[in-house]
Amino acid sequence: MSRKLKANILSISLSLLTTIILTSLLLIIIGKNPITIYGTLISEVFGTGYGLGQALFKATPLIICGLGLALCFQASLFNIGAEGQLNIGAFVMSFVAYNLDDYLGIMVIPVAIAAGFVMSALWGLIPAFLKIKRGVSEVITTIMMNFIALALVNYLLIEFIAVKSTVRTERILDTVFIPKLSDISSVFQGSSANMTFFFAILLAVFMYFIFYKTRYGYEIRSVGLNPTASRYLGVKTNRIILWSFLIGAGITSLVGVNFIFGYKGYYELGFSNNIGFTAIAVTLLAKNNPIGIIFTAFLFGVLDYGGLAVNTLVPKEIMLVFQALVILSILAVDKVVKIYYLKED
Amino acid sequence: MSSNVIPAIEFRNITKKFGTFTANEDISFSVAENTIHSIIGENGAGKSTLMKILFGIYSGDSGEILIKGNPVKFRSPLEAIDSNIGMLHQHFELIEDFTVFENVILGSEPVNSGVIETTKSGIAIKTLIDKYKLGLELDDRISDISISQKQKVEILKLLYRNSEILIFDEPTSVLSPVEVEEFFKIIRKFKDEGKTIILITHKLNEIKELSDRVSVLRKGRLVYEVDACGLDLDVLSREIIGNVAAVHLPDERAVFNNPDVLIKFENAKLKKDNVDKLNGLSFTVKSGEVYGICGVEGNGQSEIVEAILGTEKIHSGKMEIRTRDVSLVPDDRIGKGMIKEFTVGENVLLREKKFFIYNAKRIKEKARDIISKYDVRLSDETAPLESLSGGNQQKVIFGRETGLGNKLMVLVHPTRGVDINSSAFIYKIIIEERNRDKGILIISSDLEEVLKLSDRIGVIYKGKIVNEYGKQDFTFRDEAKKQEFMTNIGKAMIGAEV
Repeated sequence: MSRKLKANILSISLSLLTTIILTSLLLIIIGKNPITIYGTLISEVFGTGYGLGQALFKATPLIICGLGLALCFQASLFNIGAEGQLNIGAFVMSFVAYNLDDYLGIMVIPVAIAAGFVMSALWGLIPAFLKIKRGVSEVITTIMMNFIALALVNYLLIEFIAVKSTVRTERILDTVFIPKLSDISSVFQGSSANMTFFFAILLAVFMYFIFYKTRYGYEIRSVGLNPTASRYLGVKTNRIILWSFLIGAGITSLVGVNFIFGYKGYYELGFSNNIGFTAIAVTLLAKNNPIGIIFTAFLFGVLDYGGLAVNTLVPKEIMLVFQALVILSILAVDKVVKIYYLKED
Repeated sequence: MSSNVIPAIEFRNITKKFGTFTANEDISFSVAENTIHSIIGENGAGKSTLMKILFGIYSGDSGEILIKGNPVKFRSPLEAIDSNIGMLHQHFELIEDFTVFENVILGSEPVNSGVIETTKSGIAIKTLIDKYKLGLELDDRISDISISQKQKVEILKLLYRNSEILIFDEPTSVLSPVEVEEFFKIIRKFKDEGKTIILITHKLNEIKELSDRVSVLRKGRLVYEVDACGLDLDVLSREIIGNVAAVHLPDERAVFNNPDVLIKFENAKLKKDNVDKLNGLSFTVKSGEVYGICGVEGNGQSEIVEAILGTEKIHSGKMEIRTRDVSLVPDDRIGKGMIKEFTVGENVLLREKKFFIYNAKRIKEKARDIISKYDVRLSDETAPLESLSGGNQQKVIFGRETGLGNKLMVLVHPTRGVDINSSAFIYKIIIEERNRDKGILIISSDLEEVLKLSDRIGVIYKGKIVNEYGKQDFTFRDEAKKQEFMTNIGKAMIGAEV
């Protein structure tokens, strides 16, 4: 294990510890016993197959969206537009799915996924193009395009597509759903977790391989670290920026698979529940490492479902505080580890 | 120097380790007040580490430092600055968008009830500029001034902070011969003012010209000390290098009939921000020769490289590059030559573009290959390239580019900041490559280097080759001829009529 990896594990563990201590203090201040709260949370999530399944279900879209963002972040493209990109993609995915499921049967899944992927990627093309051709900061364009994306989907859905007096599309046929985890093991009975979770894990492993074991990965990371030197080293930097942005945005659309094919069967306004933003934290916490993203997404999944589980004892917002504290403490602890463990100045 | 005078700085048994690598081992010596004390040694000998300990950037593992007899232990550079110690780093620390004035006061702004006071401090800085003949304008933006002027801004910062002890880390590596002379004058003036100067350098002639005393470091230890009056350059070089057989430049130069023309510029012009960077540039580089371009920096050298790489287009005239693949050793090794966070092997693989899969075995093989062939010294081959010393980084880049096997090599300042031993090694490889029928373009401000390596030389001034010389012009029968030639070429470089 390299020293850098050890340092990363050390700083993540230390920051988790710091967060647990700080949250405990907060719980004590509001007159709750932290041990009871953490105890309930852990037993609710890990003590039952249902709880664990729900945590995995919540983690799945975060893993997928985080992987798309990691591809952008590795190339130093600070894509804040995942929320918009994934809504456009998921919307198109469901549109294709319920229109073609009669004709294509199970084959509608790959077709709908491809359509959603392409739409999200095209949505990412606009900021990528502006960055390459005009040097416009992708942070600004992607934030702005979130509003456009959500308004556009909202308009199309309500005006033309939505099922009467709802804010959702038509439901797909029962025959084209992806199997639930409870179909395989009764342990997960009642939970919404589905096979998309395993797909997300596979995708993470694949992305890890690309990032750290292939020339593309090295080229993407070199552009992120030093675009000037990359150009001198013969890397086609603009091409890397374009494709990282397109494919990264495309991957975020796959969030829709978990919800449409794995859970509800349709696209619904507000389904994403800010996954596009939460995934930024998940990705940064994992330092853009795909394998790390599995764990940080799972942590956020646990907190998300765990928040509901302890809702009778404390407001579930305490878990949002926990999430925020994790991010703040990793920023602080990272620096400390760098100075005292890696001895950097 | 009498022994009862308290020295300005005294190092006592300084030791510093990084992991298993000992950067400084039991170093003890003192620097007398109001002298110029040179510290010399190869890349990685421990010079910079020792100075960083003095300046509070690192803390030593053991030993102590005394300033004017008082033990000190600076925990940060700020504390060192408060004790009137100033350090000129190899890499400048200037805000490009600020003016000279703003950069100088930054960090110790003269404040009058919350508002920055500009009149009095402006006059004070102006006085310093005039006194030391720095030739700077307070309102110039850093991004608009040359490297040597930037260095003067750094010097001005030290003066503004009343530094009495000045540490210069390889100060002349970015300067042209004319600028070096100017710099020497400034240093001497400092000494006349009663300041104490520590000069870290690779260059023997600088030591001879400036120093009162020299300390030689080798592999982290102090191996030799001598006063300037007893200085023998032969002894000194031996002490620096240690027991390593000197690398000899191959004398024989292969002769090739029918060489290919690899680069051909004909009356090329290139404008940047409405300034003619290349203005009627003409020269050719053929296979089997070394073509050297010398000149004061900023006369179009970097635009030649940009044009060859295709990142800048010439506006008129002709440029032909008859080969697609060009090996390049760029001027700024950290900014352009490598991804500093990647390891040796990763940097080589990335450049080669041969393989799609980069597994650990392949990375290791590449690293070992370069490390053994080019004598790269490093503690850990999985460490990022930034952890290597400058000379070793250069050897990695050099080895990588040579290994590509391209017909054309463009080398910009191939040995800048590289020690004697490594330079000799790099020179040897350049000539070997030439003898393999490669075409080599060297762009350097080190005239000795260009003379030593080139078959032909072009002097560049304001974007144009103003003089061209063949080998017979700079193969000298005696020292007088050489001096005459050097004077002429020096004049050509600054645009004086020859």
